[in-house]
Amino acid sequence: MRNTTRLLDVLDRAETGPIVEEEMHDMMTIPSVMGGLLAEFDVRLPKPEEAVVLADDALADRVWEAGLKMAEQLGVFCLSTSRRILFTPDEIATALQFAPTEVTVGQGLDRATERKRRVEDTRRVFIKGGGVGTPLPEDVYLPIHQSYAQEPLIDAMINCTLETVYGREPRGRSPWEVLLGWHELELTKAACQRAGRPGLGLGCVENSVTEIAELSATSWGGFSPFDWHHVAMISEFKTDYFLLTKVAHLVKTGSIIHSFYNTIYGGTVGGKEAMAVAIVGGCILMQMVYMPATHSVSPTHPFFGNTTTPQILQAIGIAQQALARNSRLLTDVVVTPVGGPMTKTLFYEVAAQAILATVSGACALIGPRSGVGTMPGHVSGLESRWMAEVAHAAAGMSRTDADALVRQLIEKYKPDLEARPYGRHFRDAYDVERVQPKPEWLAMYEAAKNELRQLGLRL
Amino acid sequence: MSISEPRLTEIRTQLKAAIDDGDKDRGVQLAANALAEGITPLEFFLDAIQPVLYEIGEAFARLEIFLPELMRAGMVVKALHEQVLEPATLRTPSAATMRAGVVITGTCQGDIHDIGKNMVSLMLQVNGFDVTNLGTNVAPRQFIEEARKRKADIIAMSSLLTTSMPYMRDLTELLKGWNVRDQFLVVVGGAPITEAYARKIGADGFGQDAVRAVNVCLQLMDRKRAGLPAPALSQEMLK
Repeated sequence: MRNTTRLLDVLDRAETGPIVEEEMHDMMTIPSVMGGLLAEFDVRLPKPEEAVVLADDALADRVWEAGLKMAEQLGVFCLSTSRRILFTPDEIATALQFAPTEVTVGQGLDRATERKRRVEDTRRVFIKGGGVGTPLPEDVYLPIHQSYAQEPLIDAMINCTLETVYGREPRGRSPWEVLLGWHELELTKAACQRAGRPGLGLGCVENSVTEIAELSATSWGGFSPFDWHHVAMISEFKTDYFLLTKVAHLVKTGSIIHSFYNTIYGGTVGGKEAMAVAIVGGCILMQMVYMPATHSVSPTHPFFGNTTTPQILQAIGIAQQALARNSRLLTDVVVTPVGGPMTKTLFYEVAAQAILATVSGACALIGPRSGVGTMPGHVSGLESRWMAEVAHAAAGMSRTDADALVRQLIEKYKPDLEARPYGRHFRDAYDVERVQPKPEWLAMYEAAKNELRQLGLRL
Repeated sequence: MSISEPRLTEIRTQLKAAIDDGDKDRGVQLAANALAEGITPLEFFLDAIQPVLYEIGEAFARLEIFLPELMRAGMVVKALHEQVLEPATLRTPSAATMRAGVVITGTCQGDIHDIGKNMVSLMLQVNGFDVTNLGTNVAPRQFIEEARKRKADIIAMSSLLTTSMPYMRDLTELLKGWNVRDQFLVVVGGAPITEAYARKIGADGFGQDAVRAVNVCLQLMDRKRAGLPAPALSQEMLK
């Protein structure tokens, strides 16, 4: 279903759909549609103290139905034209019917295939390791990416952003963005080369905050069609010509599109129930408008910026189950802990979300975006190793067993979140020249591993 | 106080119910009735609206209510101001104290993140500020032009991207270059923004999240009204 005809259809509707003011879309349409759907489909989640990993198939199916209807009723609002891009139920059904159930990223010996997974699936989750857009100082950009690329459990890498380019402070929507895109390419490719994995699929162009870096760096000698190229859906359920320009470019260059949508907990859509429905509806709408191979969701806490608070975990879990049970869509989960390198909190948070996502049928895990991705340089490859090991150990686990484990982990990290333990810089956690974890960081990792083993995880 | 405490408590309860229901007409009628009973507009603002909005703000800070509820509260309060309180105070010098201040909000150039900034805008609104939300991808010149037009007290900028942060500095430099720096207070916030960065670019305030941003704006306005300059940005101010 991904072709020029479909693209033209989207662009036509962005110019002919019903006109509405943005404020109306935000303030009236979304709360009204969401409120109606939660009531119609009786979407109610228990208190997190009762269960975080829910094992209620009927509820998951109702979340799916509500999300599907939300996509039909809401469509996507195009900021550039102030119009709604709408689709009929038949059009949505057809697009979902032909969505890909697997995608191969990367090249040569390093290519890897992400496949559809189901709830409590015994198959491994695909691992997209990396700091997910975390800003990095230029001088450690390469070794930090090497620290991820050299981890054998990583199937593909997701890039970070650059704080500076050639020592200058870059600005979005300017010539600097072109240089940023190419610098990202040069350094991440070099990191993969140094790690001996030159064909690793790269999540890019992370520095393309507008369409400029994507258009420039996905070209001759740049990022390849086999990398996975990001296109965001603006929260909530919005796009614009700049994002659609990316899509047009990626469709015409035959590049793999990865779309993402980060709804805000307590934001326009509302609380945890609405967030679950929004995740489902958002993935469907991204499939309609962006024609991606893969989708990711990273609902964000309004004050902590993380994805690991119990309410958010609950919503992610039930939404993933809804998508896994009812669709072909390849849906990924971004892991964003508050904890950063050299903190125990990070291990607990990442483990909780990795277990929840794995048993809920997520196809891939992305991250972790340690320290909520805002502290420059507060990321390291060991965190992705941990995420992968826990996820693989959780494959095939029942939701009930996973719930007991996840709730124990939440008890361990919940009291620490208020202090925002963003941890330490990569330089403190790794020997930068040898690109290896320092003994102290490695010892913390081993201790966390032993602790999880004692809790019953087969690590 | 021109009205009894029990009656005031009753008004607060009814106002809270009208706000919770998002019922603008009921809120407007309630305000009109209270004024007819002899309460002054300023008393209604200070003793009825402010305590109720404080309660709502605290509930949002605890995530017991969400943005749609805040929106409803904002709409009711706006209607109260526009239809009852402001017309009634046009003839009195106390009108200015009915607003906590005038704020221009927006997400910086090159950045399309919307929701966090909207949360700040709504929290400011429910705390009595007159807010103009310019949306996303707002150029420094646009912030300043709108601030001049609206005679704003505060320009509040949000950025979630490191590549948009330089535009915050552009704004403070433009204000200085145009010799209007002392006309506006500048508050910055967003995931990658730190207190140190805010100080570095010469901002007057830094709000780590929506709740703290409102507190910073309130403190800055208190100082402005007292004729004091904005304090040097410090952690102390953020407590």
